[in-house]
Amino acid sequence: MAISATHLFLVSFITLSLFLVISKAESESELVADLLALQSESKSGVIHLDDRTVSKFLTSPKTPRPFSFIIFFDATQLHDKSELHLRELRNEFALVASSFITNNNSSNTKLFFCDIEFRESQSSFHLFGVNSLPHIRLVGPTAKSLKDDSEQMDQGDFSRMAESMAEFIESRTKLTVGPIHRPPILSKKQLALIAALLLIWSPFVAKKIFAGQTLLHDPKIWLSGAVFVYFFSVSGAMHNIIRKMPMFLVDRNDPNKLVFFYQGSGMQLGAEGFAVGFLYTIVGLLLAFVTHVLVYVKDATAKRVAMLVAIFVSFWAVKKVIFLDNWKTGYGVHGFWPSSWN
Amino acid sequence: MAAPEASSAAVPTLMTNNTLRNAFGGVLSFFILLLIGVLAFSIRLFSVIKYESVIHEFDPYFNYRVTQFLTKNGIYEFWNWFDDRTWYPLGRVIGGTVYPGLTLTAGTIWWLLNSLNIPLSVETVCVFTAPIFSAFASWATYLLTKEVKGAGAGLTAAVLLAMVPSYISRSVAGSYDNEAVAIFALIFTFYLYIKTLNTGSLFYATLNSIAYFYMVCSWGGYTFIINLIPMHVLLCIVTGRYSSRLYIAYAPLVVLGTLLAALVPVVGFNAVMTSEHFASFLVFIIIHVVALVYYIKGILSPKMFKVAVTLVISAGLAVCCAVIAVLIALVASSPTKGWSGRSLSLLDPTYASKYIPIIASVSEHQPPTWPSYFMDINVLAFLVPAGIIACFLPLSDASSFVVLYIATSVYFSGVMVRLMLVLAPAACITSGIALSQAFDVFTRSIKFQLPGLSSNTEVDAGETSSATKEAQNDAVKTEKAEETSKDRPSRKSKKKEREHVEKPSTKTKAEKKRLLALPLEASVISLLLLVFLGAFYVVHCVWAAAEAYSAPSIVLTSHSHDGLHVFDDFREAYAWLRHNTDVDDKVASWWDYGYQTTAMANRTVIVDNNTWNNTHIATVGTAMSSPEKAAWEIFHSLDVKYILVVFGGLVGYPSDDINKFLWMVRIGGGVFPHIKEPDYLRDGQYRIDSQATPTMLNCLMYKLSYYRFVETDGKGFDRVRRTEIGKKYFKLTHFEEVFTTHHWMVRIYKLKPQKNRIRGKTKKSKSKTSSTSSSKRSERGLFRHGNVFGGKEAQNQFCISSILGLVPCATTGPPKRQI
Repeated sequence: MAISATHLFLVSFITLSLFLVISKAESESELVADLLALQSESKSGVIHLDDRTVSKFLTSPKTPRPFSFIIFFDATQLHDKSELHLRELRNEFALVASSFITNNNSSNTKLFFCDIEFRESQSSFHLFGVNSLPHIRLVGPTAKSLKDDSEQMDQGDFSRMAESMAEFIESRTKLTVGPIHRPPILSKKQLALIAALLLIWSPFVAKKIFAGQTLLHDPKIWLSGAVFVYFFSVSGAMHNIIRKMPMFLVDRNDPNKLVFFYQGSGMQLGAEGFAVGFLYTIVGLLLAFVTHVLVYVKDATAKRVAMLVAIFVSFWAVKKVIFLDNWKTGYGVHGFWPSSWN
Repeated sequence: MAAPEASSAAVPTLMTNNTLRNAFGGVLSFFILLLIGVLAFSIRLFSVIKYESVIHEFDPYFNYRVTQFLTKNGIYEFWNWFDDRTWYPLGRVIGGTVYPGLTLTAGTIWWLLNSLNIPLSVETVCVFTAPIFSAFASWATYLLTKEVKGAGAGLTAAVLLAMVPSYISRSVAGSYDNEAVAIFALIFTFYLYIKTLNTGSLFYATLNSIAYFYMVCSWGGYTFIINLIPMHVLLCIVTGRYSSRLYIAYAPLVVLGTLLAALVPVVGFNAVMTSEHFASFLVFIIIHVVALVYYIKGILSPKMFKVAVTLVISAGLAVCCAVIAVLIALVASSPTKGWSGRSLSLLDPTYASKYIPIIASVSEHQPPTWPSYFMDINVLAFLVPAGIIACFLPLSDASSFVVLYIATSVYFSGVMVRLMLVLAPAACITSGIALSQAFDVFTRSIKFQLPGLSSNTEVDAGETSSATKEAQNDAVKTEKAEETSKDRPSRKSKKKEREHVEKPSTKTKAEKKRLLALPLEASVISLLLLVFLGAFYVVHCVWAAAEAYSAPSIVLTSHSHDGLHVFDDFREAYAWLRHNTDVDDKVASWWDYGYQTTAMANRTVIVDNNTWNNTHIATVGTAMSSPEKAAWEIFHSLDVKYILVVFGGLVGYPSDDINKFLWMVRIGGGVFPHIKEPDYLRDGQYRIDSQATPTMLNCLMYKLSYYRFVETDGKGFDRVRRTEIGKKYFKLTHFEEVFTTHHWMVRIYKLKPQKNRIRGKTKKSKSKTSSTSSSKRSERGLFRHGNVFGGKEAQNQFCISSILGLVPCATTGPPKRQI
């Protein structure tokens, strides 16, 4: 009994270990096949991971794994925070992924691009020890602990978008990403179409111009355009575009309160800029209205009322801007009066 | 105002009366202009009164030094000047790399004064060049606005420009920089363009080209002119305002102007080869095509013209297409599409922030927020829209130019705060027009409705004559509007005609004006409010001139409870260098202080504010970021004997070297990869306290700044970073302190002599550091970049003036992405 028992144990052990080896090889190739399938499913070639797939592809297979992962940590609820640039980085990441796949003819199964979303897979975030975004991490084949053995991409490495991400990958994995294929803004067909349209259109335009009947001959268009450009510029809208400033902030102390005006002269919020730009512009418009339009009005009372309204509004606007400026910048503008006056 | 003797209202008396009034007005205008000139000059003297007659800031010191050379050696030597005092051991060709306008202007003034036996020093002339040219600029504004909307608007615009803060910031006494003369040149060129456009005279067209030449000599901003004028010409053509006057105003400017511009060495062939100038050539072709069309229209019958027009249009289009194709090919063949980074960032405002961080980091290149407009053009911001509308009623060639000028400049100023300077004249012109017209309407309303005067015959005469004047002005405007299609006969005959035509209509015009009045009391209130608005502007401008923009930044002052403190450490240090070092000694410092060291200490520097050679700057940056020994080797290889560092920790001067240090690391690391920015940051934070990284605490900049600092207060509390320093007690092995100024703001160290036994090692590591890898280099070296904490910003200067008050300034680390 004892022998047979030992025998049985031995046999079973051998079988088991044999099975394990085979299954390991099989499971490895299966995993890669799974990954390839997932990759081909997604448009850009970025595999979407969740807690289940993380354990399937990363935590359960033994090291060394036959592949590396580069993972983009995403959070949908932070997409509207423009200062994080999450959405742009995600797009750039996808660009690197698709370029990598096309450049390597999808034959390369060493590196997979993945993303993972915070809401869906909070435990994976824990697993990686990720508590700040944007975050991109490279998990090499030998990484045992996801938190400590994987490499984090520095902020400097994704500052220059797709190109620097590719540089990072090339330097760490010894794989070549190759040139980044950015989609052209206009396809060639569209360009040709536009050129053709322009060519056909140009004689008509020329004729109209010589006849003097275009929209451009209407000074009102130019007038409103000029005033709009003025309003747009003095409201600091360029600042808001370049810095991607939000229209307003939520008060930190009281989430129900919105902050429309930011104290400190180096920065402004969107709504704030437009409000003051409006105040800047309205005074001039009223003055022009009074001096150029109101004088032609016949009715004396109407004139009087309109003027008083204009005076009141202008006075209020100027006062408001002066007040806001003092509040925002903290400059104490003062006159230089003779000292005997004080 | 009214002349009571002329009550008979006979036509001849009226005429003489009128001329008398005109003459009186002319004399009055002259004296007003004189006073405006005095105002423009004197409001800029605050810096001299509050401080002293010194050259300000950094770049002016270079200009001053060049001017000194020019006055000493003459113009030919100046063109061929190779400066070996800077960029050691490379040197710099000065004659071919500066815009010579400012230097030549000041040199000429000095020479003129000296030949008149007025022995002023070169420095005095340089200090007062900017205020003098501000007076010229306000006169030029008068001329320009007068061409557009008459003398009243001209005077108002001139007085506004005389004290607009934006312009004051660049032209206080001592601010001896290119912009000082360039703004005058800009306005004057525009005036001559408008004058040519109004008169069609070739004489003014030639003057215009010469003024443009002066502008090209003075400032890189001339590209604004050479793009704005073509835009206006194109606008005129497109809106059907083509006339032979337009042709005369434009074609000579392009031909002569481009030829003259190519004469300036620093521009040279750029005048025909860069994209900034292509717009003018394109419009040049278009205007010829259009001129041909109009010519053919003139000589052919309408029927024949219809046949011809198809022919000409097709031929013209073909030529245009060919030229455009050539241009596009030319542009596309160059890597940056022929545009410099700065121009591109104007066209696509997000360009710089995306691709050229070094441009985006400069405080002058930031997009302004709304308070900047209130600070720099103040109440003009309210008046400009009214001026724009006034320009459209009626729209003439000249007023359309003003509209285009304000629209483009306000857009550009929205992208870069430094272009506020270009906006300022446009804002003054439009506001001047708006104010003048508003005063016109309100005073007229009051005058016609004052009780007890309306039935008086005496006033009638005055009214009539003033109405005549206004009617004439109106006529001029309508005439200009009508004139677009036909050629203009000579000016004199036109004037006579006008007088004949208008006399009968004056009476009815006066009646009409009476009806166009506004309610009396409302007019009075409006007038008062406008006067108050103007008064507020004056108060603000005087305050800005006195408090915000007058600090020379070479001498600093601060008010505290125990009185005024003066920090004259910079000049103390430069004087020490001048008197205590050998004339051929080389002094190393960060590039900000290069111009000042060469100009004031007369010693050779390694890098200066010209920043043309990025590798060289990176070498100095690397040395400053290296440990003492490696730094010593780098400096020794450059033949450096003294090192100068600026340290604000004792008095709280925020723009010192420690605050600029990250730029040294970044620039150094861009060329020498062994310098890595993260090594100097603790968790992405730039700090110098006990949490600082060892690399930071051991780098040369830290050591030279904080050497013996703990001896001052026993704790080593840095008043800029507002923290105790990390490493307090250490000794220097390769450097020795030779001089520290009174407030410790400048510290000078000497390299210790070489020791025999470390010689072998020196060679080894030298070869390591000098191996440059320039693969990662961007366009960095081409662009001026200031320190992280702002250059010539009003805000920064407030910080400086609040030294000792320990007001929190912009001393946080560089912008980091928030996580």
